[in-house]
Amino acid sequence: MKIDIKHIAKLAKLRIEDDEIPKFEKEMENILSMVENLPPLEGSLTIDENNCMELREDEAAPSLRRDEAIGNAPHKQAGCIVVPKTVE
Amino acid sequence: MELYKKSATELSQLIKNKEITSTELVKATLERIESEEKSVDAFLAVANEKALEKAKEIDEKIAKGEKLSPLAGVPIGIKDNISVKGMNMTCSSKILENYIPPYNATVVEKLIDNDIIPIGKMNMDEFAMGSSTETSYYKKTKNPWDLSRVPGGSSGGSAAAVADGEVSISLGSDTGGSIRQPASFCGIVGLKPTYGAVSRYGLAAYASSLDQIGPFARTVEDTALLFDVIKGYDTHDATSSKFNYGDIISSLHNDIKGIKIGLPKEYFSEGVDAEVKTEVMKAADIFKQLGAQIVEISIPSTDYALQAYYIIACAEASSNLARFDGVRYGYRAENLENLNDLYEKTRSEGFGDEVKRRIMLGTFVLSSGYYDAYYNRAKLLQKQLTAEYADAFTKCDLLLTPVYPSTAFKIGENIDDPLKMYAGDICTINVNIAGLPGISLPYGKGKDGMPIGIQLIGSKFSEKLILNVSSKFEEAVGGFNKVAVR
Amino acid sequence: MEYEIVVGLEVHAELNTKTKIYCSCKNEFGAEVNTNCCPVCMGLPGALPTLNKKVVDYAIKMGHACGCKINRICKQDRKNYFYPDTPKAYQISQFDVPLCENGHVDAIIDDDGNTKRFGITRIHIEEDAGKLIHDDSFEGSLVDFNRSGVPLIEIVSEPDMRSSADAKAYLESIKSILQYIGISDCKMQEGSIRCDVNVSVMPKGSKEFGTRVEMKNVNSFNGTVRAIDYEANRQIEILEKGGVILQETRRWDDAKGMNFLLRSKEDAQDYRYFPEPDLLTINVPEERVQELKDSLPELPNHMILRYMHDYKLPLFDSNLFMENPDKAELFEECMAKNNCEPKNVSNWILGDISRILNEKNIKISDTKLNAENLCSMIQMIESKEISNASGKVIIEEIMFTDKTAKDVVNEKGLAQISDNNALEDVVKSVIEANPKALEDYKNGKTNVMGYLVGQCMKASKGKGNPAILKELMEKHLMNA
Repeated sequence: MKIDIKHIAKLAKLRIEDDEIPKFEKEMENILSMVENLPPLEGSLTIDENNCMELREDEAAPSLRRDEAIGNAPHKQAGCIVVPKTVE
Repeated sequence: MELYKKSATELSQLIKNKEITSTELVKATLERIESEEKSVDAFLAVANEKALEKAKEIDEKIAKGEKLSPLAGVPIGIKDNISVKGMNMTCSSKILENYIPPYNATVVEKLIDNDIIPIGKMNMDEFAMGSSTETSYYKKTKNPWDLSRVPGGSSGGSAAAVADGEVSISLGSDTGGSIRQPASFCGIVGLKPTYGAVSRYGLAAYASSLDQIGPFARTVEDTALLFDVIKGYDTHDATSSKFNYGDIISSLHNDIKGIKIGLPKEYFSEGVDAEVKTEVMKAADIFKQLGAQIVEISIPSTDYALQAYYIIACAEASSNLARFDGVRYGYRAENLENLNDLYEKTRSEGFGDEVKRRIMLGTFVLSSGYYDAYYNRAKLLQKQLTAEYADAFTKCDLLLTPVYPSTAFKIGENIDDPLKMYAGDICTINVNIAGLPGISLPYGKGKDGMPIGIQLIGSKFSEKLILNVSSKFEEAVGGFNKVAVR
Repeated sequence: MEYEIVVGLEVHAELNTKTKIYCSCKNEFGAEVNTNCCPVCMGLPGALPTLNKKVVDYAIKMGHACGCKINRICKQDRKNYFYPDTPKAYQISQFDVPLCENGHVDAIIDDDGNTKRFGITRIHIEEDAGKLIHDDSFEGSLVDFNRSGVPLIEIVSEPDMRSSADAKAYLESIKSILQYIGISDCKMQEGSIRCDVNVSVMPKGSKEFGTRVEMKNVNSFNGTVRAIDYEANRQIEILEKGGVILQETRRWDDAKGMNFLLRSKEDAQDYRYFPEPDLLTINVPEERVQELKDSLPELPNHMILRYMHDYKLPLFDSNLFMENPDKAELFEECMAKNNCEPKNVSNWILGDISRILNEKNIKISDTKLNAENLCSMIQMIESKEISNASGKVIIEEIMFTDKTAKDVVNEKGLAQISDNNALEDVVKSVIEANPKALEDYKNGKTNVMGYLVGQCMKASKGKGNPAILKELMEKHLMNA
């Protein structure tokens, strides 16, 4: 099992330096190799209809104050959170 | 009076009897923390003023003659992945430095309603990923019995502080053994409740389908009382259960004659140290003397649980930890050129290696083309394991097993070998995979003088029985409640 | 070569519930930025979703309205991707088991009421993202999370449309159903209904579809038509030049009337869907599914076709009634009396009555208008007891007073005068008062006739029977 570390890192939004790749590769492959020893399994996965949840009534409750909601944001302006431009 | 050696129940009783005030207890606790932290490093933050304010309120209630709950007035340590409004929560990660939650976790609301005083946030493995509390970005917590050893993890701070008498009770979380294993390493009691027994609202998720919050204490009674406070259905957590436990406390001392305790043979494999096995077998003898019947049980898929665990836990973690992106809270990298920079730099600088490794693994097993081979197979295995446990509990009431293959290892001993670190979890992860309750009780010492733990596992929502049997065991061995000595 | 266009649509409609899909924050448009937010919809650590019951109900209603199979036992899944408007870095949606599947709508495609059936693959529930605000005065993009967690249903069609006109007819049908069953406001300008468009082209008569291109950011029905036509032409041009169509996602720019490459197949997102572990199985009791079905009103296209067929109304009128249930209700009450021409009733309701309601900005229920009085008035007009002009006077009275139509006719003396002697006097006086017109008539300008009859109507305060007045006027002019 060969893992494309660069591709996975891109999906996970992690920057893995070239010199770290072999280490990650080895560690992940070790873990995954254990899985390859799993016995053949019978049965299939179906939705468990007994493991169901209660739904919430459509009734409003107070929201956070704005200063609480965005208070932790590293960069704020005009009551909003600022991020690098998403469109040119 | 050596308050730090007393149980939470005793302390609350002293307050109610007006022998001490809650304020005095909080002050004594703060002093104990200050002196012990120099060597133990269990706390990430201490809430001096807030705790004193809360203690004052409780003292006023006492003065007015109000009837208070069994643990009222007692300080509690809270693992740093549980939201306490207004108190920094880091999950021991750089990526959450400076994050102040604007809301309380449901369990914290319940503590406050019961006049239990959050006194600080406890160190842990980063995002609860680890078994030694060594992956914390901030500090390494030491085992109070031997400062050169780890306290276990991931709830290492919560366990160490209780073992060291800094607090009498604390909350941890358990995804693969993170309450039971540090309880075992530190010689205290730790309960991992049934999945759904305690609300997860406000617990920063590692693996949503496996995580549970649970209590640490030095006595079974404290453990039971704290569990009684935090359990229960929560409208904010769709996965929480409405199960009615009845009165857990009054049944603590019920006779256990005739109960069947199973020894699952797969838990006594070569990988488990002989001295640990010996202690568990000695414990079995004690249960026998208490009138229990010991039977041999088999859980055939046990050997594969580790694989299923790492796939399911990492898959969920890769998604749960994606929200740490530098946008709305926590750390944000500097000198960003574009949006992708914001994500990649922030996350690469903000997460430690163990977290990155698990996010990578989880991302991989969910990625296109691999989902069926890994995630689906792991879920199938989980289904099979769950069925095997259900079957086992038709043959016995509880299972008795080791908690960990060894006593606490040395700081730095396993950190560079993830596979070895993961393998240690074999005795604890099954309980999470099958959604069962499990308790770690201190029993015996290893050659190195370090505590050994035994584990009782029950069927879903059998905490009442587990705590009853644990309490009888505690009585039989002449009581636990030992503050660490070194 | 001649080509055939193949179109499939993914419509996202915001539901008009009081609260968001996974938290109790208000679902409202236009609130101050970041004020309808809580730990759940901000994606704070530890926050957990709880599913709004109404969202499930509404989606099932839509499913029933589209003849879908309802999966009363289903689950939710996480769709993982990073974007600043997506606070958890995943959207809770439904992947392999949607709440509703295998349905259709019968859209009306011409004025004669001909319909065409378009298949619906699935309808699932999911959450909306926050909103990004772009403004050159800021150094970055701004994020407002008020919309984060607003409930959406995504309605995915089969690739059954063969033109932009088909797509428009389909969209109109979907919109009218959403509004009619009361689950979405469908306000385009507020972005409460948006769609992604899949377009491919193939040689006419071919059985094999061409390579499909997905277009995002299509936010109006007219935009959809233009976007489809643009994309189909772009593809045909490429094929004509011997090129090949690449599977890709393009972004429609409505202002420029063009689309641009967003990402190619190689960059296709890997969403890593997996079951949402924070939510358990959705299990809607069978009785509830049936109750929701029974609660549905008559569906809009069915109603339009019934009006066209049963009352012989044109599509235009029928459509207006469909869009205005209170007017339709009055119309149907009138029809139940079965004593006036449907088209006349329609004209009064959609004409004068609607004009008065609009002017005063009120609804029928704010007036005293009832079917009894309206029909009585229309009957009097149809039997020529009163003139159409008198009707305009009566309508105001029966809308805002307790008088019956007959009361008003009597009180105001509006009964049409058909007595020749009385009308002779009116005609004579009008001729005397208009010597110029008489002169013109004698000089052959017979078209002054209309003017003179009008003057007679005015002089008789609208009560003169116009037919008799015309007859008398002709007689007097000839003899003058």
